[in-house]
Amino acid sequence: MKNLNYRNPVGVGKYTGLLLIMPFIIGFALFTLYPFAASLILGLTDYDGIYSPEFIGTENFSDMISSSEFRGAVGVTLKYTFILVPLKLTVSLLAALLLNAEIKGIGVYRTIFYLPSILGSNLAVVIMWQFLFTSGGLVDQLTETVGLPSVGWYGDGNSAMLIIVLLRLWEFGSAMILFLNALRDIPSEYYEAARVDGCGHIRSFFRITLPLLRRVIFLNLVLQTIAAMQEFSAPYMITGGGPMKSTYTIGMLIYDEMFRFHNAGYANAVSWAFFVLVTVLVLILFAVTRKKTEEDI
Amino acid sequence: MKKLFLYLAALGCMTALSSCGGRSSPKYISPDGTLDKCTIRFSWWGGDDRHEATLAALELWQQKHPEITVTPEYGGWDGWTEKVSSQISGGTAPDVMQINYDWLVSLSPDGNGFYDLELLSDQLDLSVFDDEVLSFGRMNNKLNAVTVSVSGRGLFYNSDTYKKCGVSYPGTWSQLMELGDKMSVKGCYPLDLDIQSGGTAWYLAVVYVQQDTGRQFVSMDGELGFTEEDIRMALDFYKELEERHVIRTVRERIDEDGNAALYQSPSFMDGSVGGVLEWGSSVGKYDMVLPEGVLESGPFLKNDDGNSDGWMIKPSVMYAVSKGTQYPDEAAAFMDFLLNDPECAAVLGTSRGIPASQQAEEALKKSGLLSGLAYDSDEMLSDLDAVTISPYMELPRVKEMCNSAIEKVSYGKSDTAQAAKELYTSVKEYLKKVAK
Repeated sequence: MKNLNYRNPVGVGKYTGLLLIMPFIIGFALFTLYPFAASLILGLTDYDGIYSPEFIGTENFSDMISSSEFRGAVGVTLKYTFILVPLKLTVSLLAALLLNAEIKGIGVYRTIFYLPSILGSNLAVVIMWQFLFTSGGLVDQLTETVGLPSVGWYGDGNSAMLIIVLLRLWEFGSAMILFLNALRDIPSEYYEAARVDGCGHIRSFFRITLPLLRRVIFLNLVLQTIAAMQEFSAPYMITGGGPMKSTYTIGMLIYDEMFRFHNAGYANAVSWAFFVLVTVLVLILFAVTRKKTEEDI
Repeated sequence: MKKLFLYLAALGCMTALSSCGGRSSPKYISPDGTLDKCTIRFSWWGGDDRHEATLAALELWQQKHPEITVTPEYGGWDGWTEKVSSQISGGTAPDVMQINYDWLVSLSPDGNGFYDLELLSDQLDLSVFDDEVLSFGRMNNKLNAVTVSVSGRGLFYNSDTYKKCGVSYPGTWSQLMELGDKMSVKGCYPLDLDIQSGGTAWYLAVVYVQQDTGRQFVSMDGELGFTEEDIRMALDFYKELEERHVIRTVRERIDEDGNAALYQSPSFMDGSVGGVLEWGSSVGKYDMVLPEGVLESGPFLKNDDGNSDGWMIKPSVMYAVSKGTQYPDEAAAFMDFLLNDPECAAVLGTSRGIPASQQAEEALKKSGLLSGLAYDSDEMLSDLDAVTISPYMELPRVKEMCNSAIEKVSYGKSDTAQAAKELYTSVKEYLKKVAK
């Protein structure tokens, strides 16, 4: 008979909590922890994904460091991230500010703005995107209409990257939702007081809104940075990583090494290097944000 | 809790480590000589023409063998290798698979990657194949796959485009070069070459050099046969094709529609690109997007001395049975049906090229189906002294290196000497590693 009291009203045993979270722990161990550990081990092997791996020490990691392809993929991934993330945060914040207005039918507008994120980059969207930028496609026709010269979107490295950036930028819904929630949490009294003191909209935005959104901006920054660093499907389907590897991200490199070239050991080593790179980037973001917060205090 | 995580992590490491060292030895389910009620899976890649023909063949199989259901898995070529290799790696490979020639080297280097088909001779009639044809599917003395058809890449032209430009199909390399100037007046290109998964740009350049030098790019046992100078000659040849407007530059080609295949591109469908280099067994997808009878096969190019060597053949597609199949007898019986059954041969036609099975070829002859683009091209090829392509030349990494060199030359990022040097070194090193 369990000892029932105020702190334990239903007779919870010592291990009941553990038992209740066991499904999660088992799932986490099997599908996250085990692959995570196994990936590191496989990174130290010569493994083709079919036959048993053979231990080769740190050879994959040294090959990776000397590989111009790996360095190129890191460069492309960072360039893509640094272009996309600030753009996406800006656009999603602006959209959130617009959708924070108290006007009739705002729910419909919010749904419409969020729609691209629900569609994601599924095959139909990617094919549509591909057709938009083909030679003589809709974008070409639009630029011609306004008297601009026709751009070879896919043949140039920078414009090819822009196609991918625009696709992801179009899917700003999730970042926008986070901003919108945070905006709605800001008490309206702050703005009323500011207005009484003669503060305009722009000043209110920089003096009230932005400082109070700091935590959400940081959260969005981290989430979007991680998502951008992991980019794979859009360049894989739209540009194939080209031209001249200008849209060849680390995600594509890992996929190619793993499935096209049957070089699973190396692919796992790259995955670990990628993990370290993302971790370092996020830690830098944390450090910079903490410093900024301390300065503000 | 910390301890629990530590134990789990250690367990993960131990499991991963325990699989290191030594080759795995997948278990055979031995054939029992009987056909039981079951469901098996069959996968293939191809164009719509092949899909339609194969699905019709499956219906025929179902009528003949209602007890054995065959589930089809099919799609286009892009990404197919990755899909099947991950299925094999994960132990979920289809029972019967259409495979590519180079997969034998990459997925079954010791002959243990696929079922040994000689163990299934009760259900699978191998006597209707030439020994040489069967030898293509042997790895380490184990028959891993059976060749469906032997084919080579041939030249196919849009007859309307050529008529519009008032020119005839080229017979020599110099005639091909001259066509560029003549057809550009009408805004057309005589040919298209790609650096995508097909890699036809490098393929044609290799043919040109092989014809000139008599050396094979890569030997059957994985030795690089070209010298650095030969590779430079191939890249110079490619550059000249672009400069003389025989083909579009890589940039012009990509600008049109990015990563899309040629047969899906407007330039091919509207005839401004007038030719394609393609396997006889796969040309149907190009034929389908043009009006009937417009695509015609053209002669294999020679040099000005009449030398037509250097063109290549290979098993265009092969069938293999999964090593881990639960139904080896049934899979073999189904494979026999696909390869040898006269009715099935008539349904499949030349959607996978001219059948290598003498029985199927005979059936096509009797039905009057031994005709069409694939047949015309194969007939012309059989008159040449074609060389068998090394499976090592088909390896994705080798293709990637060659395509990358072509791209650099096309974009002007490297001159042909520099690109040749890099390509020679990288291919040589890679082949040394994989052909050990």
